[in-house]
Amino acid sequence: MSEVAIFIEGLSKSYGAHAAVSELRLKIQPGAVYGFLGRNGAGKTTTMRMLLGLVRPTEGSARVLGLDPTKEPELVQILERVGFVPQRKQLYGWATPAELVRMNKAYFPRWSDGAAAELAKRLEIPMNMAFKKLSIGNQSKVALLLALAQGAEVLVLDEPTAGLDPVMVDEILRTLIEDHISQGRTIFVSSHHLGEVEQICDWVGILEEGRLLLESRLEEIRQDFRLVIASGESLPVAKSTDLVSATTDGRFRRYVVAREAERFAAELRGQGATILEISPLGLRELFLHLVRKEDPCTPGNAGAKAVPVSSFS
Amino acid sequence: MLLHLNPSSGVPVYLQLQAQVKQAVAAGALRTGEALPSTRKLAAELRINPNTVARAYQDLERDGVTRSVPGGGTFVGDGLPGLLKSEKVKRLRPHARQLAVEGRQLRLTREETLRLLEEELDKLGDQA
Repeated sequence: MSEVAIFIEGLSKSYGAHAAVSELRLKIQPGAVYGFLGRNGAGKTTTMRMLLGLVRPTEGSARVLGLDPTKEPELVQILERVGFVPQRKQLYGWATPAELVRMNKAYFPRWSDGAAAELAKRLEIPMNMAFKKLSIGNQSKVALLLALAQGAEVLVLDEPTAGLDPVMVDEILRTLIEDHISQGRTIFVSSHHLGEVEQICDWVGILEEGRLLLESRLEEIRQDFRLVIASGESLPVAKSTDLVSATTDGRFRRYVVAREAERFAAELRGQGATILEISPLGLRELFLHLVRKEDPCTPGNAGAKAVPVSSFS
Repeated sequence: MLLHLNPSSGVPVYLQLQAQVKQAVAAGALRTGEALPSTRKLAAELRINPNTVARAYQDLERDGVTRSVPGGGTFVGDGLPGLLKSEKVKRLRPHARQLAVEGRQLRLTREETLRLLEEELDKLGDQA
């Protein structure tokens, strides 16, 4: 499986005048655990639904395992090879998990009874209670069980931990990581729980108002992204392609730079600024800096430039 | 295993792991030759991406804290980090600066700050 797992280019979806997703570009390597971050309404769910053929794009294209979800025969293959856990679980409410397992099994040639039985046991799912009577947590676990036992090559998970208590979240994360370690499946997971994403993912894409602000390996964010805090009177509005965002707070200015922070700091010093701190920043901080557009110092959306450099090389 | 994480601390997970291993080694809780859990095992235990564990292990090895045997796992090193003295000093300097700055801000005297450092060194015992 050397092909790109998910490839999206120029993808847009509008509902009337409202653009839910616009000109999205995204690339997910096979075997990646890709965290798709964004605030509520950023367009994460719409994007995922387009990958599964549930929403038709207004423009642009998407490929899942090289297949086009807008073409019927290819979509059938996608549905067979991709496990999807939607946010709203629309499974037959009257059916029990055990019955859902029997129904799903028929559709998937690579279905594993062993995996289904083991997950049911480990996740402590009441297999003989009607789906609609299960708690939200148990419903999520059932959906995850079905997706994992299906033998999918790619998992698309739309906020799999939303509304779950910490113990359940922990169980789901463990299940995902163990599955990833043993099966090497590509996982595309949306969330706004930054801590979880930072824990289990190795790639992140940050979406805001339907546009991708940043796509990077987490590793690169750790290694190269820095927060530079400077102070001084009338600080220069630095222009650099490495600059992701800049915010002003009184006499202080906070810059997030994508690389070469030392060089950037040296330039600021050269213009009379005092550098107070150069520090690595966590995903949470980076996310807040990116989506809060106070005082953006680059034209358009701050950070957009970081996308092509860090990800499509 | 003694390693644990605080996901809400804001400190990158791999740095937390590194710091804990270094501390455990410095305090003698992990001894020379002792094996660290495998990347996969620790990843599953802590619910983190295996690449993150691998990265932390790589850095620990680079810093001379651990050594790895190809295909055989990661072990605590013999305590002789193979770094040049100048490089060691360079790594430690930011911490020293931090200590100096905080000491000054809290209005501790030079002697008081130095004594604190000595006390902490004493706690680690003689290893020179």
